[in-house]
Amino acid sequence: MGKVEVAVVGAGAAGISASIEAARAGAKVVLIDENERPGGQLFKQIHKFFGSEAHRAGIRGIQIGTDLLEQAKEAGVQIRLNTVVYGLFAEKCLGLMCGDHTEELQADVIILATGASEKPLAFPGWTLPGVMGAGAAQTLINIHRTLPGGRVLMVGAGNVGLIVSYQLLQAGAEVVAIVEGLPTIGGYGVHASKIRRAGVPILLSHTVLGAEGHESVERAVISRIDKNWVPLQGTEKTLEIDTLCLAVGLSPLAELAWMAGCRFIHISPMGGWIPVHDENMQTTLPGIYVAGDLTGIEEASTAMEEGRLAGLAAAEALGCLSFEEGAMKKAEVRERLETLRIGSFGKGRSLGKKQILESRGTV
Amino acid sequence: MTDKDVIICRCEEVTRGEIEEAIRLGLTTMNEVKRLTRAGLGLCQGKTCSRLVADILARETNRPTQDVKPSTCRPPTRVMPIGVLASLPSDSD
Amino acid sequence: MRVGDHPILGKAEWGKKVTLMVDGHPVEALEGEPIATALLAAGRRVFRYTTKLKEPRGVFCALGRCTDCVMVVDGQPNVRTCVTPVRDGMVIETQVGLGQWCYSKKTGEKKG
Repeated sequence: MGKVEVAVVGAGAAGISASIEAARAGAKVVLIDENERPGGQLFKQIHKFFGSEAHRAGIRGIQIGTDLLEQAKEAGVQIRLNTVVYGLFAEKCLGLMCGDHTEELQADVIILATGASEKPLAFPGWTLPGVMGAGAAQTLINIHRTLPGGRVLMVGAGNVGLIVSYQLLQAGAEVVAIVEGLPTIGGYGVHASKIRRAGVPILLSHTVLGAEGHESVERAVISRIDKNWVPLQGTEKTLEIDTLCLAVGLSPLAELAWMAGCRFIHISPMGGWIPVHDENMQTTLPGIYVAGDLTGIEEASTAMEEGRLAGLAAAEALGCLSFEEGAMKKAEVRERLETLRIGSFGKGRSLGKKQILESRGTV
Repeated sequence: MTDKDVIICRCEEVTRGEIEEAIRLGLTTMNEVKRLTRAGLGLCQGKTCSRLVADILARETNRPTQDVKPSTCRPPTRVMPIGVLASLPSDSD
Repeated sequence: MRVGDHPILGKAEWGKKVTLMVDGHPVEALEGEPIATALLAAGRRVFRYTTKLKEPRGVFCALGRCTDCVMVVDGQPNVRTCVTPVRDGMVIETQVGLGQWCYSKKTGEKKG
């Protein structure tokens, strides 16, 4: 059985950041990812980030991803790709599957940074080829430079829906419309304006009734809805499309945390079931930490900071960082996290995080 | 196609109507719904449908979603060929 | 459809071309890309038919989680095409239901 001081599961924004901090403090770190390339969602984010200079404002996600990986390599992090963590067993033992063989890895500290997955929306015809997650379309166009189709209906006007719609336009597709069930746009105004200027209608208080087509999507039927989400008769419209993207939210991918026995709390605005953690990102199980979207859907910037916090806390727990140095560095990170959770968009997340910190979990 | 015919578990092709019918037999937990309808037992092991099933169960049993505990999560987290699972760890003799 | 020129990503640097055999027809692909994108670029959107209702399925999550995009690859069914890279000469078939294991693992010969 292999042994390591810090095992980080998930090489996205949070995971890479955690491994950098822990390695810089002197811990032996292994960063594990099931994909053939690291970076998580960062390499799909071709748009510029917001925030302060400390938060890499004005820089595209892809550049941030490249920089983080450089730093991880420089810090001596061992990166293992194409490796699935298929189980988290007693005594912090990870089961790894790499190609045709399995391994066991015993860690002193585990940091789970497994991110989130797209929520589904079920309606007649949603299983037809051509209906996919907005994130799926983003992966296809930004990483593999292949369009899934030419005429797209986007469902959801949150940040993902708005950003991916714009990126579909950049890739050469036509976005026929964005439908949003709420009476307001959930995403940032700047994204909505860009999309509107490009001529894409955002239909609020609208929903998709169904997708139709012989072997794949050819049409979608949308309609207006009332405040109880009931479709209004007579407002149905048929749109000729070949691709339907669902951008209806994300929820944490927490299988390993469930499996290990961590306690959870359900907070809808944060994505659903969240593994409860303390100020140091430690779960209810000593030695198991969490960071990033796994701990509540936020943004890449908060994911990076939470990752740093978990990495510092892990290094401190191992004795690689003194109490004073750890406290100082953690305080800096916590301050930056606070500034990321202000304003009308950040308030809800700030409340959600408070709820997590004050809870001991409901299941 | 009516609402009842909408597929909820994509892997096992279980419809909303089938899940609602099963719950009306007296089911109250996600584990029970999974075992009776097979929703969540396919290749993706509920990664896609479990939220949808939980919402249906919550509605049918008159509870908020947070009162519906997810079904038990066991390894493996991804599709794993039996031969790979049965092989000895590569660093053992 | 391939995105050759992109306002942010610039001009594409396509990798080496390889050839896949998809349901008996040759399909061009690019070295290193997942099978799914090669098929989408070739205009192919139906990857399999389901067991019960024989309904068409294709790419849904593109991340290897939903398992909707699985096909029979080199005789092995349930291969997630969105995370499996192409190889020159790869044999890909539309999967029906759960597929069948065509190749004897012991002798390597094709059965049935």
